[in-house]
Amino acid sequence: MRTGNHIESYPRHIALSDSVVVWFWLAVLMMALIMLPAVSGLFVLGLAIRILIAAVGAIGLNLLTGSTGQISLGQSGFLAAGCYTTGLLIADYNWPPELALPMSGFVTAALSLLVGIPSLRLKGLYLAITTLAFSFIITQFLLFAEPITHGPYGVRIENTTFFGVDLARPTALYYFCLAVLVLVTLGVLNIMRTRVGRAFNAIRDHDIAARAMGVNLTIYKLTAFGASSFIVGLAGGLMAFQFRFINVDIFSVTLAIEALAMIIVGGLGSVAGAIIGAAFIIILPEVVGDAIALLPDAVGEVLANGALEVKGLLIGLVIILTLRLEPDGLIGVWRNTKRYWSRWPLSV
Amino acid sequence: MTVLLSVENLTQRFGGLVAVDDVSLAVDEGSIFSLIGPNGAGKTTLFNLISAIFPPSEGRIMFGERALHKASTHQLAEFGIGRTFQNLAVFHHATVVQNLLVGLHHRLKANILTAPFFWGRPRDEEIRARRSVEEIIDFLEFEHLRDVPVGQLSYGLQKRVELGRALAIAPKLLLLDEMVSGMNSEETEDIARFILDIREEFGITIMMVEHDMGVVMDISDRVAVLDHGQLICVGSPADVSQNPDVIKAYLGKK
Repeated sequence: MRTGNHIESYPRHIALSDSVVVWFWLAVLMMALIMLPAVSGLFVLGLAIRILIAAVGAIGLNLLTGSTGQISLGQSGFLAAGCYTTGLLIADYNWPPELALPMSGFVTAALSLLVGIPSLRLKGLYLAITTLAFSFIITQFLLFAEPITHGPYGVRIENTTFFGVDLARPTALYYFCLAVLVLVTLGVLNIMRTRVGRAFNAIRDHDIAARAMGVNLTIYKLTAFGASSFIVGLAGGLMAFQFRFINVDIFSVTLAIEALAMIIVGGLGSVAGAIIGAAFIIILPEVVGDAIALLPDAVGEVLANGALEVKGLLIGLVIILTLRLEPDGLIGVWRNTKRYWSRWPLSV
Repeated sequence: MTVLLSVENLTQRFGGLVAVDDVSLAVDEGSIFSLIGPNGAGKTTLFNLISAIFPPSEGRIMFGERALHKASTHQLAEFGIGRTFQNLAVFHHATVVQNLLVGLHHRLKANILTAPFFWGRPRDEEIRARRSVEEIIDFLEFEHLRDVPVGQLSYGLQKRVELGRALAIAPKLLLLDEMVSGMNSEETEDIARFILDIREEFGITIMMVEHDMGVVMDISDRVAVLDHGQLICVGSPADVSQNPDVIKAYLGKK
């Protein structure tokens, strides 16, 4: 009789997953994702690209807010910084895109230290407000520093050739974003299973105890800010390739709230949760939009006119529902389901 | 016997309140040293000063050659000082193993640049860390709880995890702040036995703040009594329990 999952070696203990079943289904998922452009239309592909980029951004935010407990409302500012770095370096300074994209990560990480250092003693709401203010500073700077940033006119990116592949083609951009997401996912999962990730979680759960265990709070908070923003900056850089014409208007506060919604709905602190949450928050308005189209004309017209408001309403609603019903988010629902079936018929 | 920790003329003021008033004491290597006193006597303040949570107003704390009054909290693990907290300070969302692994922090090397690539040195180090955590799990007898999130454990077990986490530091000095408060007699006995074993097996010096007089009198080598921030008596458990000043502090004057 199977009595449980017995692990018999230390390397298996620290493996990402020691279950063959998990690896098998992951392989199936990867195959499906690779096959997607072959079977999907342009609309679905566009949606998939948005999900992939949002997932990269959500993983970044999750590293800071979910894993380290430093609430950030500055996501749109960091995305803007990444997006404009890539855009301006390519458009105005003729940098090759291969260098401009990683540079987005570094520039955004450096900027995050600028807000991170004065925020070291701030927690919770105060930190949230500081990061929000920082995000406003960035977008206002982008709007008014016209000689550097083109101000309200935006930036057009002509050169999108990455190692000989033109990312202006949706299929190419899709595979590229997928590759970035896979690398970022692996990187963050690895961080989380070393002392660095444990230090992040320790700071979130009990900062004084973390210090007593030898975690240097200053260094690790800044590390979390830097690493998180590096990834968010990459996501911003990807957005430059996605839009190819960038403008400050894209980076509204709503974007930061959406990012926060992704990690809350997905499950705070979980990498898989961030990805699932990103997919959920991107797809939800589309599904609801289709549902609205089925409503009687009068109602449908009102809702269609206020599409943006409806979207905001939906995101607010799912955040409240998640916090009320399952604070661990969709990943928590998944864990509970798994536990239910593995213990059946003894489960309650 | 050599002195491991010496506190010299230590004073801590919070505004007008003198929480610790000119306290001097020495803890011998390999001993079990208890700090007792009525509520508000300044025991926890003294503990927080020793573990560098905040710097003292006056005085010195020497741990061998290290000046703790000038140190930061995060350096203590490296110096060889582990501590537990009065109120539970475990990492609730993490499993028992993950909690213990945090205690190994200062002995590991991975950083934000090597960690994302994992394979290679960080992986070897994780395997070694996992192995040393297993020794502590074995010692504290919670093999069956390895992968349980600590928040789901009973109070007594959470305390035991906290003790394990402090042991993972591989300390020379272990500071225990009211380990057994809120425990039933069986759990208290377990902890007392663990404290004796820790000294016996690992040679760790123990300094504890404790309200449970049974534990204090049974296992301490020396007891210091604080009252209103002042040290009123240091001696063997038998001496202290006979001391008229101590009786006055606890029971009041006749």
